[in-house]
Amino acid sequence: MCDWCEKYGNGYERWYFNPSNYARRLYKIRKEEAEASGAEANPQAAGGMAFVGRDFLEARERGDMAEVERTKQQIEGAMWLTHFGQVITLEEALKITDIMYPISLITCACRRSMEGLPDDENFTCMGMGAGMYKWERWPDTYRGGVHFLTPDEAKEVLAKLNKRGLVHSIYTFGTPYLAGLCNCDYPDCAAIRTAIDLEIKILWKGHYVAKIDPELCNGCASCVHRCQFRALSFVPNRNKAYIDQLQCFGCGLCATECDQEAITLVERAGLPALANVW
Amino acid sequence: MLPTITVNDEKCKEPISCRKCLLICPTHVLGLGTDVGPQKFREIDPSHFIVRAVRFDKCSGCMDCVNVCPQNAIQVSFSGGDAR
Repeated sequence: MCDWCEKYGNGYERWYFNPSNYARRLYKIRKEEAEASGAEANPQAAGGMAFVGRDFLEARERGDMAEVERTKQQIEGAMWLTHFGQVITLEEALKITDIMYPISLITCACRRSMEGLPDDENFTCMGMGAGMYKWERWPDTYRGGVHFLTPDEAKEVLAKLNKRGLVHSIYTFGTPYLAGLCNCDYPDCAAIRTAIDLEIKILWKGHYVAKIDPELCNGCASCVHRCQFRALSFVPNRNKAYIDQLQCFGCGLCATECDQEAITLVERAGLPALANVW
Repeated sequence: MLPTITVNDEKCKEPISCRKCLLICPTHVLGLGTDVGPQKFREIDPSHFIVRAVRFDKCSGCMDCVNVCPQNAIQVSFSGGDAR
């Protein structure tokens, strides 16, 4: 079972369907939080790599797995308290637009950092909760400000971003409070990159796993470019797509692109070998 | 092998309006941060932006960033030695 559903689900099917996880109190103790997240320790935090230092990469290169594991656990422990995400499907994202409030279209911090993308080209992220009123009040500080959306407008935006090929994921800001619905792609998303390049679980896999029906797959390969997690490839000799289910994050982008309906999402919990692979 | 990538902030003054190195890097190694961290009002001043090799584990050593930089502000070296 998903640790977060167990801890913060409170009877809801998923922890991110539990409305109380969207209801963060209006005040917070900023200093303690900043120190806990290590923000002050690393002035380059805006680069999205605040926790991963050269020591980790050097240990990894020389094959010191004990050191790698130790650092990894330290990073994950800190991030799981403050800021981490989980992949969700389009259907789940659409459902969340009826829970989150206010819904705001905001600029993506990762793409700003990795592409230097100007604000007006960068409205691909969704924020929610009382904090969004600060973004409205100080648009310069919060890089471009916000566009408030109705749930219907938000659904339209999400469908468009899904069509573009972006992965939906939901993020805590002070766990378990959810305040970001991100629409991400590799390699500029810090969470996807840290999860699959460095195997540090800042982004959890979702509750589904994609599965191909080889009878229905006609080999068109239109799904192949949709995978941001290196889980989907193409087998030329069979002329079929192939999904590595152990690597699959369950975002469903391949399934929404398949016009043969050859790809379905199955519950991770229903597959014994994958039920605890997050 | 891991590189050492340094950016001379004195030479690289306006990375956010230039961003040539960010866009040319084939493995998206370089990223923008600020030299003040997340501090309100100061972090949006363009003069506080800095380029750092945040994903240097993926650097192949192609030197495209070194060559594209109009200010000659980037250095990439492997095994401690200067690659250029």
